[in-house]
Amino acid sequence: MNRKKIVLVIAFIAIMAGLAAGPSAEKQTTELRFIDVSPSPTRQEYFTTTFDKFEQEAGIKVVYESVPWDDAANKLTVLGASNQLPDVMTTWAGWLGQFTEAEWVVPLTDYIGSATDEYAATVTQLVWKAEKELYGNIYTIPDGMMVKGVFVRKDWAEEANLDLDPKKGWTYSEYFDTVYALTDPAKNRYGTSFRGSRGAFDPLYVYLESLQGGSAYAEDGSTLFANQEAVDAYERWGALYLNGAAPKDAINWGFVEMVDNFVGGLTGTLINDSEVAATCIENMTDDQWMVMPMPSSDKDGMIYNTVNSPYAYSISSSSKNKDAAWQLIEFLTRPDNNIEYCKLTGLIPIKTAVGDDPFYGPDGPYATFVQQLNDPAMVVPVAFGPFNYTDMHQGMMHEELQKYLLGKQTAEKSLFNVVLELESRMKAYLAENPGSAVEQPKGLL
Amino acid sequence: MLILVLYLLGVALLCALGIWFIGRHSRHSRHGRFSHGKNPVRTHGTTSRRKNRPRLGVQRKSEPYLFLLPTLLLLLLMFGYPLINSFIMAFQNYKLTAPGKIYFNGLDNFRKLFGESDIWLIIRNSFIYVLISVLGQFLLGMTLALALNKKFKLRGLYQAIVFLPWSLSAFVIGLMHRWSFNGEYGVINDMLIKLSLISEKIAWLGTPGFSLAVVIMAMIWMGIPFFAIMILASLQSIPISIYEASHIDGCGPLRRFFQITIPYIKPTVIVTILLRTIWIFNSFDLIVVITNGGPANYSQTLPSYMYTKAFSSYDFGLASALGVLLMAVLVVYVTVFLKTTRYNKAGNF
Repeated sequence: MNRKKIVLVIAFIAIMAGLAAGPSAEKQTTELRFIDVSPSPTRQEYFTTTFDKFEQEAGIKVVYESVPWDDAANKLTVLGASNQLPDVMTTWAGWLGQFTEAEWVVPLTDYIGSATDEYAATVTQLVWKAEKELYGNIYTIPDGMMVKGVFVRKDWAEEANLDLDPKKGWTYSEYFDTVYALTDPAKNRYGTSFRGSRGAFDPLYVYLESLQGGSAYAEDGSTLFANQEAVDAYERWGALYLNGAAPKDAINWGFVEMVDNFVGGLTGTLINDSEVAATCIENMTDDQWMVMPMPSSDKDGMIYNTVNSPYAYSISSSSKNKDAAWQLIEFLTRPDNNIEYCKLTGLIPIKTAVGDDPFYGPDGPYATFVQQLNDPAMVVPVAFGPFNYTDMHQGMMHEELQKYLLGKQTAEKSLFNVVLELESRMKAYLAENPGSAVEQPKGLL
Repeated sequence: MLILVLYLLGVALLCALGIWFIGRHSRHSRHGRFSHGKNPVRTHGTTSRRKNRPRLGVQRKSEPYLFLLPTLLLLLLMFGYPLINSFIMAFQNYKLTAPGKIYFNGLDNFRKLFGESDIWLIIRNSFIYVLISVLGQFLLGMTLALALNKKFKLRGLYQAIVFLPWSLSAFVIGLMHRWSFNGEYGVINDMLIKLSLISEKIAWLGTPGFSLAVVIMAMIWMGIPFFAIMILASLQSIPISIYEASHIDGCGPLRRFFQITIPYIKPTVIVTILLRTIWIFNSFDLIVVITNGGPANYSQTLPSYMYTKAFSSYDFGLASALGVLLMAVLVVYVTVFLKTTRYNKAGNF
């Protein structure tokens, strides 16, 4: 090869490197990157259309990016560690401990300013209050509100002569009885979409908290679940699987399998967020499904239920256009855009200005969820903790439960392994953050 | 982005240097070896010819290294950096979620690794997974190769069909097996019930033992064609005259197989087993897709566990320690395997 060719090779690679190096010098308008962590054709269409409207109004171009939910935590972590997070991100509340610890998101308190009264009480009194308590600031603007309920096969319940009235509600004991009553192996019917894999501890933890007034820790950070009462509750929960009220495969079920098998006609109940209502509306007939509120505590009669925003908007600290990013969030949460988004994705709007929409009224598909949000008996229990527990949530928690369900270890050992690890992290957090206190359960009224 | 630019420029520079060296060297070689009478140096008589000899010798010796230079440089850039970095990270507290708290922690990652309650279960799973998968692939691949070595009608078409699994991605194969072995809707349970071999559905993916078995079955299914292709190529290279001579000498089929076929294909078999063992030992994609290591780590192997540790707890230090452990195991395996199979003497008759 002669020297000319060598020079050509070098020049070519240098040009390629130059092209990879960054944006063109001709770029004049502000450009934002937005990432959606739960993409679907519906969501993508909504976002791209809304971004076009935003560009026309504000002159700011938004580039849509997405990552499938299962890979989202990994991708955002890698982007965060390499300082390449997009300007605006949809963020799950469970990641905030990790994101705030690593300083990948910026506080939004100053941006919100005095506009707090525009937001529904669920946002101000629950989500933001919890964020302030846990992380000392507001870091997200909810995309919509989500509350849990129990989806039930209405036709199966009628066949089994069960009297289920959402307005009357039910207790955990009644819920367990219903699950067993709906189980009929001869008809290939199981009572519940049992969650045995990732996220398995989420509904179980709330059940345990329902026996402790919504709390999980004493003031000094000690767990409230290292006792026989909690072990009994843990066994009662596990018995749903062990007694055959769920398919054996359910030990590996996560969110997708739970929903698919409820909608597909294998299971009779499903504890999940209001967003699943959109899937039920699409795939089931009205006489096939209904929503019951979360069961009330057998101990104090209160309904302990998590209220959160599934994919709240946040601004990354690596954003070079934070003010423009805030403008985009304001636009996305504007009442007209927010209600359109919530209807598409099965959420409850975040602004008071859209509270009277008939879709969310007593005859709408979200009646039970809205009813819970207005119920004076509803209390939001505390989260796992203000520390980073992603590793436990994606591994240890469900693995310990699985070992118990497989008969490889006792219920006590399985439960204690998890709650004592949480306790040690909570105590370490309290020690490392003088002045911080254990989170308290919150009510709306 | 700056790092990427520097990286690309580095690659360009090193490649260009390599190419320049080779170009320069080949010009010298051409002049030295092939130009008779035209080269002024060589027309000066015997004295100058003698002077040039040692230099030409050095050039000849360095020739292979110079030709390898670009590849070596690229390998160094592509694999050298991650390899060295993973060694360093194995001795560091390196969590992706806490970039500000990275420091050397000695052997803490290895202590933590061997202190994990499931580590021995995972090591046991890894050995079972590799051993049965390689053995299954080898035996079935060998059988297939022997069958395809004989001429029959539509052999080409049949060959194309049986080699199909090798062309599918592990992800597709994983999904196929996950659905086939689904406890409720899977075709396997349905088939076994219809054949009256089982009376109740089996939760293949939710039962310890079965979940690993499903992954092994998928791995065997995927790898048979590779063994078959390699062994078939080797079988077809055996001269027919040897078989004819043995036939004339009254040699039976069994003896022919063990005394002629096996020694001829031995080098191929050794290399194929070696490569497949390394690949299978390092592979985790099928496990992640089919069972994700579950239930309760009963189908988890060392590489899939490493992946889980790296991308669920973001503990890159611990994951790197696992990576170093994997590498050590493979180095020991390769050394012992090549010694015991006497690879360097294989194929000599």
